[in-house]
Amino acid sequence: MILLQRQWQKLLEFLFPAETDGWLAVFRVGVGLQVVVYALFLRRDWHSLFSTTGKGLVSRELGEAIASFDSPLIPKLGWLVAFGQLIGLGEGTVLSIAWACLLCMGCCLLVGLFCRPAAIIAWFLHLCAAESGALLAYGADNFITMALFYLMLAPLPDRYALDRRLVKTKLPDPRLLGFWRRVLQIHLCFVYFFGGLAKLLGSGWWNGSNLWRALIRPPLNLLSPDILIRFKYALPILGILICLIEIGYPFFIWMKKTRFFWLVCILTMHAAIGLTMGMYLFALVMIVLNLAAFGIGISIPFIGHPASDAPRPRSFF
Amino acid sequence: MVSKRVYVTWFAIHFFLITTVCFAGLFSLVAERATILPSALDTYARKAELVAAFLLGKHAAPPSPVRGSIATYLHAAGIQSGYTFFAPNIPGYHKLIFELNYQDGHIEYESPRFSGKAAALRLDSLLARLGDNRYEPLREVVVKMLALSIWRERPDVKKIRATFGLVSPPSISDFEQGKGELFEPMFSYDFSLRDEEKP
Repeated sequence: MILLQRQWQKLLEFLFPAETDGWLAVFRVGVGLQVVVYALFLRRDWHSLFSTTGKGLVSRELGEAIASFDSPLIPKLGWLVAFGQLIGLGEGTVLSIAWACLLCMGCCLLVGLFCRPAAIIAWFLHLCAAESGALLAYGADNFITMALFYLMLAPLPDRYALDRRLVKTKLPDPRLLGFWRRVLQIHLCFVYFFGGLAKLLGSGWWNGSNLWRALIRPPLNLLSPDILIRFKYALPILGILICLIEIGYPFFIWMKKTRFFWLVCILTMHAAIGLTMGMYLFALVMIVLNLAAFGIGISIPFIGHPASDAPRPRSFF
Repeated sequence: MVSKRVYVTWFAIHFFLITTVCFAGLFSLVAERATILPSALDTYARKAELVAAFLLGKHAAPPSPVRGSIATYLHAAGIQSGYTFFAPNIPGYHKLIFELNYQDGHIEYESPRFSGKAAALRLDSLLARLGDNRYEPLREVVVKMLALSIWRERPDVKKIRATFGLVSPPSISDFEQGKGELFEPMFSYDFSLRDEEKP
């Protein structure tokens, strides 16, 4: 019984470490920036992506039907369009308002104005868009939804938010801040572990052919194959390195001595994905998640002090 | 602060779901023989995938509240799919080519496209899904919609033939020998507008 109680206490200590809100500020600003970039990137295609049959490229109704098959309770843009029709607004107007609201909520998160409502509305609108365009969705959408989901649940506002300057409220419980950071940290460990494991099970990551194929396939082919061919001997090494960095993440990111190195490796990998494959949204959201989860308060080798006033993430080895 | 027990309970359920989704994705890859693991494991992987699907409530018929609640939560939290991006291998990419037959007899070739780069990535996702057998029932409907979008821009087109196929990029050695990519048609559809549907 005592042993159980001791284990429970250890678990609570692990899940609820005392943290400052530095990581939350980075997370809020980063996710806000992500939402703004997401909205701006899709501004020209927003109506083509989410209009109904006869107006868009692929009917929004089809994506919504697929989402409704899983559950009719999953939010969709169709709900907003139906509500708009009740008050006399056409589909195009509702879609434009939804886009403008999303952009506006991203800006609010960026400066920290109305943090909680902005996070909830941004999460809802992005989820509606991601689910209505289910057929056109890709990995970045899931990560943006995930980031907004955690952000709206986290103890906002942080001390750097405009909200805090306008209304003097007491600072959130440091242990609650620690809990939400821990959730983010553990989630990232799952992401990389399973990502790395699945890659290791493919022969193409061992001989470099997967990297080659990833970099020459449209629309990811920003680099010319003629340039890539010059680095053909490096591709197998890079492929294996990517797998090792990903599968090693849940172990080495917690170790004090390797944390900085691993974080730099993973950030470099995402920056490279963004720059060489044009997956800017995906790269940005992963960089934001990593910086918020492990970047704030990290010890930089040879300097030996935390990068901010936040306490360092606890080491377990 | 809400009781720590409430947070711990949510944490346990949340990460249980994430783990199950991740394993389901992994087992699915093994069962489809997409990995380097021996084929003897296929049957076990298929069984394990079914167990994971059961834990996620997918065994229940669609109106089931259990299935609906779990699915809603997974989608709301952005954890409905695993993290097997670009894994285990990167297949070729898919291409949809429209052959536009005009009323005056001339022919043009066109592919669906968006104006922005971010949306182009989404189109690539859509085409990858169309190539997946699980989306077979949707193929014709989606291709028809894409053809309709082309028609809106070119109302004088009489008939559209849509050909969907897999493009296999050259390997490094093939590229060095000057070989290009190979297009392998998978299916094609012919569409013509009825008078009442013409834009």
